[in-house]
Amino acid sequence: MARIIKVLNLNYRYPDGTTGLNNVSFEVEEGETLVIIGANGTGKSTLFMNLMGVLDGDGHIEIMGLTLNKLNLKNIRREMGMVFQNPDDQLFCPTVMDDVSFGPLNLGWGKNEVIKASQKALALVDMEGYESRTSHHLSFGEKKRTAIATVLSMNPKIMLLDEPTSGLDPRSTSKFINILYTLKSQGKTLLIVTHDIFLAQEIADRVLVFSEEKQPVAIGNYKEILNNTDLLLKNNLVHQHRHRHEEVVHEHEHKHGYSHKH
Amino acid sequence: MKRTNSLLENLDPRSKIISFLAIIFCMILTPITRLKDFGLYFLVILVMAFISRIPPRQLLKRVCVLIPFILFIAMFVPFVKQGHMCWSVKIYNWELGVTYEGIWTFLNIVIKSSLSVLLLVIASSTTTFSDFLKGLDLLRIPQLMIMITSFMYRYIFVLFDEAKRLMRARSIRYFGSRYKEQFRVIGYMIGVLFIRTYERAERIYNAMIVRGFNGKAISINHLRFSYMDFLFIAGIFISLIFIISGLIYKIEHVKINDTHLWHGL
Repeated sequence: MARIIKVLNLNYRYPDGTTGLNNVSFEVEEGETLVIIGANGTGKSTLFMNLMGVLDGDGHIEIMGLTLNKLNLKNIRREMGMVFQNPDDQLFCPTVMDDVSFGPLNLGWGKNEVIKASQKALALVDMEGYESRTSHHLSFGEKKRTAIATVLSMNPKIMLLDEPTSGLDPRSTSKFINILYTLKSQGKTLLIVTHDIFLAQEIADRVLVFSEEKQPVAIGNYKEILNNTDLLLKNNLVHQHRHRHEEVVHEHEHKHGYSHKH
Repeated sequence: MKRTNSLLENLDPRSKIISFLAIIFCMILTPITRLKDFGLYFLVILVMAFISRIPPRQLLKRVCVLIPFILFIAMFVPFVKQGHMCWSVKIYNWELGVTYEGIWTFLNIVIKSSLSVLLLVIASSTTTFSDFLKGLDLLRIPQLMIMITSFMYRYIFVLFDEAKRLMRARSIRYFGSRYKEQFRVIGYMIGVLFIRTYERAERIYNAMIVRGFNGKAISINHLRFSYMDFLFIAGIFISLIFIISGLIYKIEHVKINDTHLWHGL
């Protein structure tokens, strides 16, 4: 597999001087699903904003062989789409169809091509028939799925998803994971920011852990990372959990999807 | 409002915008003293209400929401406007009078505004907001204005929700004491709402630029001008010409074989 994203020594400071990213370096292979996990405020979303060229940090970012700079920004954004954490920020048009067709129209595609791509994207996220619906009348799960369609319609090679399952109920989460599986099977490169270990277990090829120092502390195979309890505990991704088994009260780390015996 | 699939609803929004604006424009220019003309305008609007198939009760309900505002604005005019006294009453040393000019101005405001409101209700009931904006865009209305209107429509409910959440958070911790202090709290809440709105605007802008936005909003145009649109516009314009020119009154006096035309009917 070829390398599709390369980040080298990326630093970012917010205008008020707060550190956003601290010496971030990693690489992503084409078609890979990299899940970035970290506690709140560790710079995961800031990293995405830097990758999309919305924030301008110090360091080197290379996407599909193109260095991220003003000259290449348009070409990079043609190939890389981002789904924001809050779908209300992403769905700003009066109707679902207007939102989904916004990207392709800005890419200069023809009308028929745009309609075809938009309908295909809506079908993929199970939102057919919602074209003329107003975005603010949709449920949260529907909004999240529409937000993905707004990016899918541009047919990007790389997709950045910021906290895709946050705020979703279990059924919507499972629907969402199915969509991610479909995207994965289509060969798209997925970068997913989350602190949901369960999602990481389900979908990741590799996992990147961000520490509270706003830098990556570990990257590797998902089994290797997610079984490293010390690493997860240290980075606030699992917590000590006190509970009772009949007469026995004890404490251990709490992870979703793991059973234990006493 | 529930879609009725009426003739008016299926028209291109551009033809509705052009026709409705033409009616409003003509009404504004018609002197209020030509009361008969306003009866004819009302008739034209009634015909449109009929072909729009909006249930009359629903139409009245919506109009009645706005009429009190018009009355509130106009009700003081007959007392304030200078002119020839029509009626007056003396209360101690203070004289309250109504002038003829005031009454005409009152009628001018109430009749023209009420008819315009009626048109507005018909327009909003038969056109979706997104179609209305697309119509404006195709009529070359500045895009910035259209985008601002579109964002306002999209986010006003989100902002209301946010404000409601703030109010709720305040009310569950407010027990009725220190009444004066609450003004300061409300001030903080308004400030917080402004900051959140500003931050949201930044996030929306980011979401736009990562999808290739470069200052020009493009949308798929599915609107098409049909012969029905031309017929509708032509019908409205011919009616307006008849009303404005007074031709309709002249027809009343047309004689064929020394007999009034209406006698033959």
